Amino acid sequence: MTTASTQAAPAEVTALECPSRCPLLLLAGKGLGWLLISGVLSLVASIQVHTPTFLADCPWVTYGRVRAMAETAFVYGWIGNLGLAITLWVLRQLSAEPLRAVRWTLVGAVFWNLAILAGVVGIAAGEATAIPLLQMPGPVQPLLLIAYGAIGVAGVLAWADRRREAMFAAQWYAVAALFLFPWLFSAAQVMLVWAPVRGTLQAVVGGWFAQSLWTLWMAPLGLAGAYYVVPRATGKLLPAYDSASLGFWALLFVGGWTGGRHLIGGPAPAWISTIAIVASVLLLFHYIVVFLNLRVAYGAPGTALKFISFGLSAYVAGGFLDALTSMRGVAEVTQFTFFDAAQHELAVYGGVSALLFGSLYFALPRITGRPWTSAGLIRGHWALTVAGVLLLVLSLGAAGWVQGQGLNDPTVAFAELAARTRPWLLGATAAQALLLLGNLLLTLNFILTAAAGCCAREPAR
Amino acid sequence: MKNGPLLFLGLFAALGFAWAGIVLGANAQLSGLAPYYDSGDSLAYPQGLPGVAARGQLVYRDLECAACHTQQVRRPGFGADTARGWGERQSVARDYIYQPAVQLGDSRIGPDLANLAGRKPTAPDAADLYQLLYTGRGGMPAYAFLFEERPVVGQASDLALPLTGRFRPPAGREIVPSRRAQALVAYLLSLNSAYDYPEAAPAAAPAPAAGERKK
Amino acid sequence: MSAAPQDPRFDPAATSDEAMLAAHEHVLGPQPDERAHYRLRPLILLFVLSGCILFAATYLNRYSGHFNATIYNENLIATSGAAAEAKVDPVAMGKKLFNSPNACFTCHQPTGLGVPGAFPPLAGSEWAQGPEARVVRILLSGLQGPITVEGKAFNAAMPSFGPTGFNWSDEKIADVLTYVRQEWGNKAPAISADSVAAARKDVGERKAWAPDELLQVK
Repeated sequence: MTTASTQAAPAEVTALECPSRCPLLLLAGKGLGWLLISGVLSLVASIQVHTPTFLADCPWVTYGRVRAMAETAFVYGWIGNLGLAITLWVLRQLSAEPLRAVRWTLVGAVFWNLAILAGVVGIAAGEATAIPLLQMPGPVQPLLLIAYGAIGVAGVLAWADRRREAMFAAQWYAVAALFLFPWLFSAAQVMLVWAPVRGTLQAVVGGWFAQSLWTLWMAPLGLAGAYYVVPRATGKLLPAYDSASLGFWALLFVGGWTGGRHLIGGPAPAWISTIAIVASVLLLFHYIVVFLNLRVAYGAPGTALKFISFGLSAYVAGGFLDALTSMRGVAEVTQFTFFDAAQHELAVYGGVSALLFGSLYFALPRITGRPWTSAGLIRGHWALTVAGVLLLVLSLGAAGWVQGQGLNDPTVAFAELAARTRPWLLGATAAQALLLLGNLLLTLNFILTAAAGCCAREPAR
Repeated sequence: MKNGPLLFLGLFAALGFAWAGIVLGANAQLSGLAPYYDSGDSLAYPQGLPGVAARGQLVYRDLECAACHTQQVRRPGFGADTARGWGERQSVARDYIYQPAVQLGDSRIGPDLANLAGRKPTAPDAADLYQLLYTGRGGMPAYAFLFEERPVVGQASDLALPLTGRFRPPAGREIVPSRRAQALVAYLLSLNSAYDYPEAAPAAAPAPAAGERKK
Repeated sequence: MSAAPQDPRFDPAATSDEAMLAAHEHVLGPQPDERAHYRLRPLILLFVLSGCILFAATYLNRYSGHFNATIYNENLIATSGAAAEAKVDPVAMGKKLFNSPNACFTCHQPTGLGVPGAFPPLAGSEWAQGPEARVVRILLSGLQGPITVEGKAFNAAMPSFGPTGFNWSDEKIADVLTYVRQEWGNKAPAISADSVAAARKDVGERKAWAPDELLQVK
């Protein structure tokens, strides 16, 4: 194993070859744009929860629609775009050839983002499907699928061109994300939008889709980058690498079974939620393996590894919290409350998003050929992200716990509940503002870095 | 892992396994749920949504009311749903078979609505609901855009809201619910899941004493 | 590990792609047995995984309701029978029936005290706590004529809940009678659906009973 190199002068880094560079920068730039948009929308939604009169007059921004728009922009716009950018970059790095079918990727990226835009506007106009994580109006969804296929082609070809026949962990996760999304998405579309199933089955299929999207797509997108960046940046062997494939298959085989997670006590036969609880506990094995492998990132210097360590902690903590809140005794209190939102934010924002931030910090200099422009903006982004995530999770968690206790006490009226949770929700709003500011700093830094350098396109935001 | 095609098959198997188990399994059990025929009153429950109410469900959906309201009552003893008067029994799958867009919801910033029109002792009526939608209350925002303010022509409309205080419109004008509001309220008034299906019937207590049992 | 502060704008790679891939591939290959005993970590992981699976199996066994489509309460263990259904509590069911729209409570009141002069009370009523055959027949065919309940006179005009009237099922009649016979201080034995079915066959469709006629039934 080579030892850690000394401070590498920027001149040592060669930019990625020109054709491969454009789609990656385009995807990353658009991803950051959607991150900002979803940040604004989340901030508005957060304000509307404790101050219902905020923007209540305009149907386009009524609370439910704003929440749906924020979710769509975040999941498909931010995680989708940046996840694909990192995935393609990782597969390119581990491949013997430059990216092929780049034009397909470019066209796909453009249409992917156009579809999301149409989707978000459609939700505001009142055409949403009200299906969690599938809120975009029906007609837009197939476009998303086709665009994804166009983007994914380059990734699959890069995988086929891999340097060594044996695949590395990062490649497993990257390929999993590439293949699983279209299957998941189309199955859910057919069963929920085009030929809707009957009655409570809609909730069961919706739950399966939402949990599968999280465990089989979003988590692999984050882990693909992390599993590549950590050994490359630290120069160390992943300590539990022999168990890594077991962790990978555990995630894939068990992840989808957690679908009944939100139907505990609900109008579905008991076995569906029992299986979900069982699956959440089995999934702990995956989190343990990921932790054992990526823990070498702790204490290592560098921006990327700092973000990845934070993301790793949040991801694993989110997983354990998920298993804990599935237990019926706990679910009785936390179900339907902000606590569920807190756990979601911890796993998705604190976990996968931070992993993506870290991967972006590592990847961008290697794509553009120059280091990030401003150290100050990086430090600002780091501080605001950590503070924002911690404040958000703790505020929503406290609000949720208070709300849950209140809901289970029949003498507490809803006006009283609103008053009790208000201080915590104000904290959550402050946290959203911090996160938004941090992401503004990141986007600014990105624009400054990517704008310089030949044939790097301006991110279109 | 060396084998590309094997990885591909493994991915497909992983996805298919969970999908088959949960989705196909639940489908086998729930897709054929028939309404329950009560020989006593010769009616089948649940009863379908009347046309206006079905349109109202679409209004409920596009305003994303499910972001704050659930429509599922949990069983007595699991949370305080029945103690709050939201329903007398747990919601079961049969309650939803005739709803085209089931809105179970996953967040209770506002109360549960599964049995809104069947609440005891008093269920809200149309006037209460219009009032609530126009003015908002507590954590619920005002949905004034669902209403029209217009001049009174001749006699005041039957549907005009009797508002007081700061919500009262200026003299000579009235607040009338739009068609969307009417459909939404019709839907809310159709939410009645009071019928006791066999699978939802209250479970026997383990103790043999018939005189005392836990509520 | 360098202790000097690193430029945050760029993270140097400590190793090349090739070296990283080679090193990790080596881990997966056959290893020389350097320590001549089991490595601890994989053993611990195996125990953890086994523990998770054990929990999963036990929990699934106990709380799955035998994967039955009609079991919504995971605490119920399916009783024998092809369609295992939860045992219904007749008193709770009977109370619901008593208070269902346009049913018993409209006349006899939810308190069971009736309306003096109009509808007889059920609380403490010797008729309600009387012989099973009698009360079942009241519901099956109705009651018409002067009647004395708890010393007070009423003119009975009780509708039929049997085949000539509301046509309630055997279970419904049994449940509501069971409820009435143990509520408000009443202490009379429960009534089963089978005895209602037997009485129904016996009685057939007939006009409402006169109270004197019914007193002959034991």
